[in-house]
Amino acid sequence: MQTFLQYTILGLALGGAYFIAASGLVVTYTTSGIFNFAQGAIAMLAVFTYWQFRWGWGWPAPLALLMVLGILAPLLGAVLYQVVMKNLRGTSEVTKIIVSIGVMLGLQALATWVWSPTSSTPRQFQKFLGPKAFAHFGSLTVPWHIIISFIIAIAIAFGIRFLFVRTRSGVAMRAVVDDPELLQLNGGRPERLAMISWAGGSFLAALAGILIQPMIGSAMSAGALTLLVIDAFAAAMFGRLRSLPRTFMGALIIGLTTTYVVAYFPSKWTWSSSFRNSLPMIFLFIILLVLPQDRLRGATVLRLRERFRMPSIRTAWIAGLTMMIVVFCLKVIMAKTGVNTLTLALTFAIIALSLVLLTGFAGEINLAALSFGAIAVMVVYHFGVSGTGTAARTTLWGILLAAVVTALVGALIALPALRLRGLYLALATMAFGVFVSRMVLTERTEREIFGLKFTLFTAGQLAIPRPKIGPIDFNGQDAFLFLCAGLFVAIGIGMVYLRHSGYGRRLTAMKDSPAASATLGMSVVRLKLSIFMMSAAIAGIGGVMMAAQIGTVNADRFDIFLSLALMMITVVGGIGYVSGALFAGIFLIAFIEALNLLLKKFALDYSTLEAIFMFFVSAVTVLPATIGITMGKNPSGAVSDIAEGMNLVKQSKPLMITVLGLEAAIWALTATEVITNWNFVILTLANLILVPLVGGKFLMARAMRGVPKPVPPELIGIDRPFTDEDLAAMDHALNLESIVIPSSTTVREEPANASA
Amino acid sequence: MPLLETIGVKVRFGGNIALDDVSISVEAGSVTGLIGPNGAGKTTLFNTITGLQPLTGGQIIFNDKDVTKEPPHKRTRMGLARTFQRLELFTTLSVRDNVRVAGEIRNRWSLRTPKMDVNAETDRIISLVGLNDVVDREVGEIPTGKARVVELARALMIQPTLVLLDEPASGQTEEETEQFGKLLRDLAGEGLGICLVEHDMALVMQVCETIHVLDFGRMIASGSAESVRNNPTVIDAYLGAPESVG
Repeated sequence: MQTFLQYTILGLALGGAYFIAASGLVVTYTTSGIFNFAQGAIAMLAVFTYWQFRWGWGWPAPLALLMVLGILAPLLGAVLYQVVMKNLRGTSEVTKIIVSIGVMLGLQALATWVWSPTSSTPRQFQKFLGPKAFAHFGSLTVPWHIIISFIIAIAIAFGIRFLFVRTRSGVAMRAVVDDPELLQLNGGRPERLAMISWAGGSFLAALAGILIQPMIGSAMSAGALTLLVIDAFAAAMFGRLRSLPRTFMGALIIGLTTTYVVAYFPSKWTWSSSFRNSLPMIFLFIILLVLPQDRLRGATVLRLRERFRMPSIRTAWIAGLTMMIVVFCLKVIMAKTGVNTLTLALTFAIIALSLVLLTGFAGEINLAALSFGAIAVMVVYHFGVSGTGTAARTTLWGILLAAVVTALVGALIALPALRLRGLYLALATMAFGVFVSRMVLTERTEREIFGLKFTLFTAGQLAIPRPKIGPIDFNGQDAFLFLCAGLFVAIGIGMVYLRHSGYGRRLTAMKDSPAASATLGMSVVRLKLSIFMMSAAIAGIGGVMMAAQIGTVNADRFDIFLSLALMMITVVGGIGYVSGALFAGIFLIAFIEALNLLLKKFALDYSTLEAIFMFFVSAVTVLPATIGITMGKNPSGAVSDIAEGMNLVKQSKPLMITVLGLEAAIWALTATEVITNWNFVILTLANLILVPLVGGKFLMARAMRGVPKPVPPELIGIDRPFTDEDLAAMDHALNLESIVIPSSTTVREEPANASA
Repeated sequence: MPLLETIGVKVRFGGNIALDDVSISVEAGSVTGLIGPNGAGKTTLFNTITGLQPLTGGQIIFNDKDVTKEPPHKRTRMGLARTFQRLELFTTLSVRDNVRVAGEIRNRWSLRTPKMDVNAETDRIISLVGLNDVVDREVGEIPTGKARVVELARALMIQPTLVLLDEPASGQTEEETEQFGKLLRDLAGEGLGICLVEHDMALVMQVCETIHVLDFGRMIASGSAESVRNNPTVIDAYLGAPESVG
């Protein structure tokens, strides 16, 4: 009984803290329509900042609390909304998700940068009123911190309820989501309200973080803390992102069950601690499974800002061939480490292809691509390796089996997606990713089920040899590089073929308008299931290649944050394009790596400026996230910009000859070792970016000489008469196209009469 | 026996009653009009018939079957197609592919569905509705009037027995509307049932045999075009003074 009470109180307090975090999610989601993936990261940052004030600099607790909760956290929320989230109206769900993931990764990188995890003194975070402040109820001893947490949670619950139901601004906040324009017409200020709610949401996240950290009691870690608050996602889903009472209930259930697992599971069950950590994610998955089906709605935005043009099949073949040639040329001049990095980048590009297929073609979201890779790697490790020692090779059958198994797992994960869309599937895959990280990849002891003995993730690391397919041995680095490049090209061209097929068109139809697809008789079940399985299989194959390139992989290689970063960078590159995947792999692995090496080299070469260069080395860790956050401004991705530049080159023969000629010269100089590889990279970038830019400007200026200047819009009708196109353009801009212009033959519609 | 019947359909959005006891019917081989001021519930009624909007009460009978509980795609497979007032085109596909994919979806309804030659049917439908001049353009680039015709073409691709058209003529020029009216009559002549929501009264009066009038979610009149045109309640609620009727 004693234990039961003790753990119940602990569970209630933990649940209370989960509720505070979850209520922050609900508040920001209901007012801005954006699900804040960065909620956990904000909590994490608040915990570190509080630690810095309270124990790093020795401030008194009330002052530190006031600073963090009263000033910094709300400020961060407001700034995030003003600078980042405000721009997201009218973008797709994918962009919204990616941008908030960008914020999450950015804050995380920032925290790791400021509070180095390899610091020599461990950071201790204490309970309120100190570690020895206990309250006594009869024989029961409860830390004051626990009691305070629960009281605060209840106060917050009633406070928010009061705010939303009884106060003017609360009611207005709810109105923001329903119809911001109508609210504006009625004198409300939706932008300001959304900003206030983000400030509030950020405050709640910070509060939850400061309450939870001492309950967990472990050392502070940016990744773990971020994920800890992500557990609150499950509670928010329990209330369907709307109902606060149900969110409260969900949070308490999660808090209680997790503490009961610790209390009552037999200590010989070695998996119970992983199970306890995975519980919130298991809850999340189950809640998503039983959520009632979304109503099919028409497109909520008339036209998304994202535009993707599919290349023709001919273009795809040319691009594929070009890529193979480029890879060959690079191999000739590159050092061995360079070849290694390039190969790794290509394996990541293959994994990113799975995202292009799923998100770019079908509009569904997978936030745990690498977790599928992890499943595939385990399958290959156990069933797909022949030979031992240096003669060990991955077999073709092993790779195929891995693809099949990941496809089946994909089908299982996609189950919630068959009925739900967008955000909910994203959360389901994320739950899966965290589950794999916490429960599957931690399986290092031998298990026995039905007499079958096995160890999932042997000794915490799996050795995956290079493949041997038929008579061809891909053990050599060069051979393996070409295998990966070939695989990327083959899958990429296959995807372009797919996109041009009836199947691809049906996918596009499903993505562009689910409502219209349904009223054409489409049943999305098989379509969604098949695309998710295909995508999972590609991620699996990519994962195996990645492991084979590295040789021996540990669980960190399949970290959920890496999956998130890959997804984010693929969206930055252009999620609708095969080349977007290539961009992602090259950027995330090769570019960041190269930049790092270059900066470190500079730091060594110019020791007086070392501090500055090392600062930039740290800054590079924040770079991908920063780029992800800017997605709100350019949702079609970088590849489409690059393609536009390339178009200029394609249209002008002299320009094309100049660029190709210069590139060949640069390559020849490098191959004959006249210039170094670094100079090759710099000159190539200059050639590919600057020459089209300058040449394009020059060509444009020459072409423009004969063409009359367009009349500025305000002078149309004065300098020249209106044309039909002008009228159409104006109607389009004013969104008047659907309104009937009354003429003598039509009956005038009289809304005034209608409402009389 | 009518092709489609709604019996006492009721839809409530929170405290708002969007449709209250609405009973309409549509016959095969005829054009039925559904008119009323904005916000009267016309599109909501279409949504309930196609299954995109659940009912609070009432029944939908299509082809002698109660389809009230069927999901949208099952109803479509029984021969029910529609267009959308707020366009629901596949914005990343060309005009031809928008029409073609409808046939491809239809060929995949089930293994037993007799397969059509999608390319030939696409060409036929495109010239039938008069989209030849914009066939290779992106749907985002063409004028709204044309885009509405793409919606009709797409609906026709699944070879329906009944189409629900939601303001198909808005955004069309007068000339296009006239052509469009002829097309609707031709289609009805071939046996297709058509239910038309439209604000262009000239078109409605020209093509519809029967007209139902909705106002604030209630049926206020129902009958032949002539009787509806002269119905004082309808004039008061929607049409306005009789002299303005063209």
